[in-house]
Amino acid sequence: MVSPSATSVPPWAREPHVEPADPTGRTHTLLVVGPGDGQTGTAVRAVAAGWQEELGAAPVHRHDCADAAVAVDALHADLAVARVGHRVLVAGTAEACLAVRAAAVRAGLADDELRFGAVAADVRTVWCVHCSATTTAAVAAGGVVACPGCARSLLVYEHVSRRTGHHLGFMVDAEDQPWEESA
Amino acid sequence: MSTTAPAPTAPRTATPPTALPAPGLPAPLGAGERLALVVVAVDDSVPGVRSLSLARPDGGALPSWTPGSHLVVEVPPGAGRERRLANAYSLTGETVHPSAYTVSVLRRDPQEGAAGGSAWVHGLAVGDTVTTTAPRSAFPPVQRATRHLLVGAGIGITPLVSHLRSALRWGRDVQLVQVCRGGRGAHLDEVRALGGDRVTVLDGRAALAAHLPALLADQPIGTHLYTCGPADFMDAVLAAARALGWPESRLHLEHFGLAALDPGDPFTVTVTGGPTLEVPSGTSLLEALEQQGYDVPHLCRQGVCGECRLRVAPAASTGVHHRDLYLDDAARAAGDCLMACVSRALPDPATGRAHLEVSP
Ligand code: FES
Repeated sequence: MVSPSATSVPPWAREPHVEPADPTGRTHTLLVVGPGDGQTGTAVRAVAAGWQEELGAAPVHRHDCADAAVAVDALHADLAVARVGHRVLVAGTAEACLAVRAAAVRAGLADDELRFGAVAADVRTVWCVHCSATTTAAVAAGGVVACPGCARSLLVYEHVSRRTGHHLGFMVDAEDQPWEESA
Repeated sequence: MSTTAPAPTAPRTATPPTALPAPGLPAPLGAGERLALVVVAVDDSVPGVRSLSLARPDGGALPSWTPGSHLVVEVPPGAGRERRLANAYSLTGETVHPSAYTVSVLRRDPQEGAAGGSAWVHGLAVGDTVTTTAPRSAFPPVQRATRHLLVGAGIGITPLVSHLRSALRWGRDVQLVQVCRGGRGAHLDEVRALGGDRVTVLDGRAALAAHLPALLADQPIGTHLYTCGPADFMDAVLAAARALGWPESRLHLEHFGLAALDPGDPFTVTVTGGPTLEVPSGTSLLEALEQQGYDVPHLCRQGVCGECRLRVAPAASTGVHHRDLYLDDAARAAGDCLMACVSRALPDPATGRAHLEVSP
């Protein structure tokens, strides 16, 4: 068993969890990620409302986004003019939060500039080390998922890439396989 | 320093990478190794500041170093110095395969309580031999930064000179603000020549106080701040940055000129397999062990050189009050080692007992 504190999987990507807003920030970008209707939309808006209350009078640029791709675009637009002292808050599913975090990390943001509120953590993206295909599935870390690229059964490992937001997947019974001659 | 998880695009292999010695380059020095160097030039053109160039006696290339590194220079006993001292000085010269190491030393007067190391440096002449450690990096540029903001005061410009040179060489966005009095200061002509309009010189603290808020409020978000100078100057810079929302991960400081440490509270220490000793207030752990006849390797006796590191048994100790400038945050947090010359026991919050178990 891998100790949760020793892995790269943030606590909010294991089970739903909302981090507190950072009152030391001077300005904030708030990304509310989820379709307007339905359970996820209602839950992320509640998280956003809580954060806005915590932040009081601090300037908050709020973006309500249908999905992570829209949120990443909004993030990039804000970061292009952001000054040090800015913080980014993301409310969404863990999958959306990880995708936005990856874009933020690639843009040079540090962990102490990012806060996440994950309203669900059952779906994750898994990156196959064998063929580099990515699959999205409702699977827990430690579970097994079929790779759509190479059809191998992938063990979803307790590792999330900071730069892509994907979990690492590798062939579940790799040790039992004969070495592939053609590899 | 932060560690990075392996990226999926570069899967970890079973074999660890092998360090290949590059032919023709000087091998890196191990911990504790010393360099015997010769003074090849002195420059006293700035009043009160002596710049020294140190080279190998055979003129060979010296180990390369990371911008912001320092050299610990041994100061032999004599002229009122009861024992050997060791002082850390920032390197200011060429970082890659240098033929000389250069340091700049502000003279601090022994009559005003200085230990005498800088006065000794000011008495050196070309041809004298100096013993140093290899360069040590404790203030490196952050590779991920999209911009480097360097803010120094007085002799605190020294580690920022190498930051500036390296940033310019690699085409990185950099700005340097230097505070000095009367427009005179160590390395000022050099940084002006290097940095041109990326260098701002401010005359005195009042000018800094007027300049700082606007400067710190308007840095693009990828910027990292590096500051070096007197402790109250750095405190002021960091306080201004924090007030504007700068997160800790973007703030970097180099202690320069060590503020005197308080005498500390008494505690007890057990040497693994040996006796338990009292360490009174005002006595360092290093001194207490020396008084009992233990021979603990040491050099600087001020928490900068890393020589006096002892292992701590965390389970048998109440905690470590780290007061050195040598260990990094991860080593501190692990609580399994300390620098005996400055660090002490942290009392157990419940019982008030302060105890350490140490071994070499
Ligand atoms: S003797 Fe240098 S760190 Fe203790």
